[in-house]
Parts: sequence; structure tokens; C-alpha cells
Amino acid sequence: MQYLLDQVISGIAVGAIYGLVAMGFALIYKATGLVNFAQGEMSMITAYIAWSIAGTVSGNPWLVVGGALAASVVLGLAIERVVMRPMLGEPVFATVMVTIGLAVVLRSATLLIWDAYPHALDIGAGREIVHIGDTGVRSAQLAVMATLLLALGAFWAFFRYSRIGKAMRAVAADERAAKLMGISAARIHAVAWTASSVIAGIAGVFSALLYDVSPNMFHVGLKSFPATILGGLDSVLGSGFGGVIIGVAENLAAGYLAPSVKEITGFIVIIAMLMIRPFGLFGEREIERV
Amino acid sequence: MRSGHFKERTEQLIVLSDSAPVWAWSAVLVVALAAAPYLLNAYLLSFVVLILITATGALGLHLLTGRTGLISLGHVGFLLLGAYAYAVPVAKYGLSPFVGFALAGTAPALVSVLVGIPSLRLKGLYLAITTLAFSFIIAHLVLQMSWLTNGARGIQVPRPEMFGISFDSDIRFAQLCLFVATITLFGVLNIERSRVGRALMAVRDNDIAARTMGINLQAYKLRAFMTSAFVSGIAGALFGIYLSFVTVEGFPFLMSIEALAILIVGGLGSTLGVVFGSIFIVLLPEVGRTALSLLGENAAKLFSTGANELRSVLYGVAIILFLRFEPRGLVGLWGDRKRLWVNWPLRF
Repeated sequence: MQYLLDQVISGIAVGAIYGLVAMGFALIYKATGLVNFAQGEMSMITAYIAWSIAGTVSGNPWLVVGGALAASVVLGLAIERVVMRPMLGEPVFATVMVTIGLAVVLRSATLLIWDAYPHALDIGAGREIVHIGDTGVRSAQLAVMATLLLALGAFWAFFRYSRIGKAMRAVAADERAAKLMGISAARIHAVAWTASSVIAGIAGVFSALLYDVSPNMFHVGLKSFPATILGGLDSVLGSGFGGVIIGVAENLAAGYLAPSVKEITGFIVIIAMLMIRPFGLFGEREIERV
Repeated sequence: MRSGHFKERTEQLIVLSDSAPVWAWSAVLVVALAAAPYLLNAYLLSFVVLILITATGALGLHLLTGRTGLISLGHVGFLLLGAYAYAVPVAKYGLSPFVGFALAGTAPALVSVLVGIPSLRLKGLYLAITTLAFSFIIAHLVLQMSWLTNGARGIQVPRPEMFGISFDSDIRFAQLCLFVATITLFGVLNIERSRVGRALMAVRDNDIAARTMGINLQAYKLRAFMTSAFVSGIAGALFGIYLSFVTVEGFPFLMSIEALAILIVGGLGSTLGVVFGSIFIVLLPEVGRTALSLLGENAAKLFSTGANELRSVLYGVAIILFLRFEPRGLVGLWGDRKRLWVNWPLRF
């Protein structure tokens, strides 16, 4: 029983990271209608920048977090402006391929700028063990769960109450009608890319805290795909929950079946999910009209 | 200026090429390629071999993505399966290379049905994600089934001996690759001008319209999947022989991207483009290295330390730049040059 509890709790913590990245996927899909294959790479770059900042100013977690957030905002804006905006109006296939190209470039650039070895990100916090009942949890694990809850709440409120959030929903529902109502689709896309980069960056920093920064961190993007598919590609909140489910499922599969199954649990979930409910648990069913 | 280009019968419309110069130049190219192994040194020959193998594999993806419009991000899965389907029976159980090549084609084709059937309900991005998941699962299974595949240690693959000819020397192996690539190219060109090829194109351009014209979507999509997997599997087997060692690491996920990059750079949907794209993508790292070495000592050193990374950066940048500035690809540029040549000094 204790074993199960341990697995579930650490699964939720990993799942929270997946959930945050998956929310980034869903946000971009909702606003622009394309899957951003560079999501994992964006979160990796932010984590590396955080690591560089932590290396120069040691022992001040707030400075590291603030710097990482600022870097992720700049990264998101830059990618949208330089790479994605010129592709506005091109077919989805071309645009998605651009994000794949971008992913390859970012991944290799990380290796060229930093190195290929894993490093521990030490910001002077997050490693303490907190006991809940009999289960020991690291404080960063608790923090990432709290962050996911916070992000879920913030996005719910953002889409429901804020002007930009409503505009984003309008663009997602019908881009042309939204433009006719005076909404700048390009600006909405920029907001979506920035917000997505920020939550991916947060996830990256947490993942670096719990594990290490390493050039393999972009795998978090691949592993968050299942979460988005599970929750629904166009459902930001659903993707967040999907991440938690995938994280727990992965840990249980590793704990009770075989450790190696962990790597592909998510992909099996994708295939199963796409066969049963391609639009996800919380997504909107696509209806095709001739 | 040429004019009066009339077509009166169906055969004239679907003929491979109706122009004598094209046939003549193709013959020249075939002769040149056949002579190349004897004229080039080992270093240049290895590029020719790599281009031929890459073109074969990319033609496989072209049937699926370029012709039928089904995006696959898991192409490397088929290559990997093909390589292992050749390596296991030939290198491990000592069977004839014929069996190896037959399995290298049929095993991926059969597995592609497993991927294809669930994918029939999916479109576009969802299909891409499914195939992506599939390629990771395949790599995982290959690593896990170490009783058959030696797991992470890999299998050493000897050069084959067929028809009483040993393909051990580089020259003979280049000829084998040339043979396979030519057969594949002709096969693909002929599929394209048949009923099947036109049906696939119709599925790509508008599947609902294709359906109302009486095209069985499921059957044709599956056929595209199987043919594509078959061709890719053969290319995978050749690549395994070329590397002389088959491991999962020898077939990284980057190869799926590389294959898509070839299609995009060449011009999506064009068979000639696949050939152009393969040449471009295979030579790109080499050209990049030469360009960097011109920049000076330090830049050249950068390439020797981060060769793989720079190669990936070049692929990525090539994909982005082509999509942004020349979506028609190299074939589009080629067409412009040809038109300029024919029409000069007039513009049209």
C-alpha cells in the first residue's frame, strides 16, 4: 500500500511537469491550430538559461526564477515573431514542419552553446524532504503540483474573464469572424506563444530541479504529447489533467510491470486514445461538413 | 520556341516522358551513374552510395506523404524494421540474402498494416503523432527482444552475395544500390501514372471528393502505407549493410525528420524532387563543413567537435528556409531555370 502511494505521489509530481508542458501544447493549438513540436526544446532552453543564471548568482532562488521567466517570455516572443509569423496563412502542414525544423535547431543549438553532460540545477531550495504521513516528498515536487493547480486556475480565469482570453477563444472558434470583430489574430498568436513558452519554461525549471539539466530534457515534450492527446488537443485545462494521469500511469507501469515499460506507456496511451476518442477526454469533437 | 504540344490519346497523357531530350539525358545519367563506381575514389563513392540509399528510403516516404498526403513522423520505424528483418535472418541464422531482402520488405509492410488500420480514422496531425508514437514503440521492442535482436549490442551485417556475385567490394555494393534505387524510382513513377497513383493523389487533394468518385479510402490508404513501408524497409536493409552494423542508435529519430526534410527541400509531391532533395540533404553537411573551413581554423574545429549538432542545425534551417521562401522546393527552382532556358529572351 505504501509502495502504491509512493508511486502515485511521485507520478503526480512528474505528471504535473507533463501537464504544464501539455498545457503549452494545447494553448498553441487552440490559438493557432497547429501542434508545436518544439515545446520540449523551448522548456529545455529555459532550464539551461536558469542553470546558467544559477551558476553566476548562487543562492538566490528568486533571481533564478525571475531570470528564467524573463528568458522564456523573450524566447516565446522571438520565435513567434521571427519564425512563425511569416508562416501565417500557409498550410498547416508547412507550419507544423517549421516547428519541427525549429525543434531540431533548438536541440542542437543547446548542445553547441552548453555541453552534453547532465548538471544539477542548484538554486538553494527544492531539495528538502517533506513528510506527508509516511511518504517523503521533495519540496520541489510539492511546488510543481501547486504550480500546476495554480496554472489550471489561472488559465480557467484567463479564458473566462480576461479580454485577451476571450479574444483567444474567439480566434480559436473562428479566426475570420474574430478578425472582422477587430481582434488582431497575430497579436493573439503572440500571446499564445509567449504564455506557452512561459509555462513550458516553468515546467523545464522544475524538471531540472527534480532531475538534472541535460540535453535529453527535450524528451519532456515527447512525453507530454500523450497528455495533450488524452486531455484533448484543444483543451488547455484537460491537457493539464491529462499530464497527471499520464505521469501516474507511467509510474504504475514502471512499478508493477517492468521499469522499461515506463518509456513507452505514454505512446501506448496515445494510440489507444486516438483509436477510441481522437478528440480526447475534454476536447471538442471535430465535425466535418462537405 | 516550342509550340503545338497536342495530346490526343490517354497513353500520351500518362507516358513517363514524351520528350526525347528527357529520355536522352536520363540515359546519359544512367550511364554516368553506372560508370561512377569505376571513376570515383572511395570517399566520393561513399556519397554516391549514401545518396542512392537515401533516395530509396525517401521514395518510400514520398509515396505516403508526398503522394497520399499522410504525414508520417515515424518513418525511421520502418527503416529500423527493414534493417533488422535483413540482419537477423542473414547475419544471425545464416539464411540467404534473398530471404533477407524479401523479409526486409514484407516485415515492415505487414507491421504497417498494424499501424495503418488504426490510422485510417485519423487525419493530419493526429496521424503524424500516431506514427511518431509507433516509431518509439518499435525501437523499444527491438531493444527489449534481445533474444532475437541482441538488444543494444546490435548485429554485425556482412555484405551480401547474390547471383554468384559477391557485393563485398565498394564498387559492387554501389552497383547493387544503384540497381535498387533505379528499380524503386521506376516503380514509383509507374505507380504514379497508374489508376492506383491517381487514386492516391485524389485522396491527398480532397478525400471527400475522392470518396464520392468511388475510391475506397481505406483500401488505398492501406496500400500506400504498405508500399511505403516495403520500399523503406528495403532501404533500411541497404543502410544496415552500408553501416555494416545494425543497432537502434544507428537509426535515430532524426532520420524521420531528415526524410521529411528531403521531401520538403525537393518539393513535396514531386518524384524528381525526392532525388534532388536526397542529393541536397546528403551533401549539405559536407558543403557546410567546406564553407566553415573557408571561414578559418576555429570554425573548422567547431565542426569537428560538434559535427552531429551542426548537421542537425543545417537540416532544421534548410527546412525552415525552404518552407518560408521556396515552398515548391528545388523542383520549383529547376522548373524556373528550365523555362528561362526555353523561353529566353522572352519572359513567358
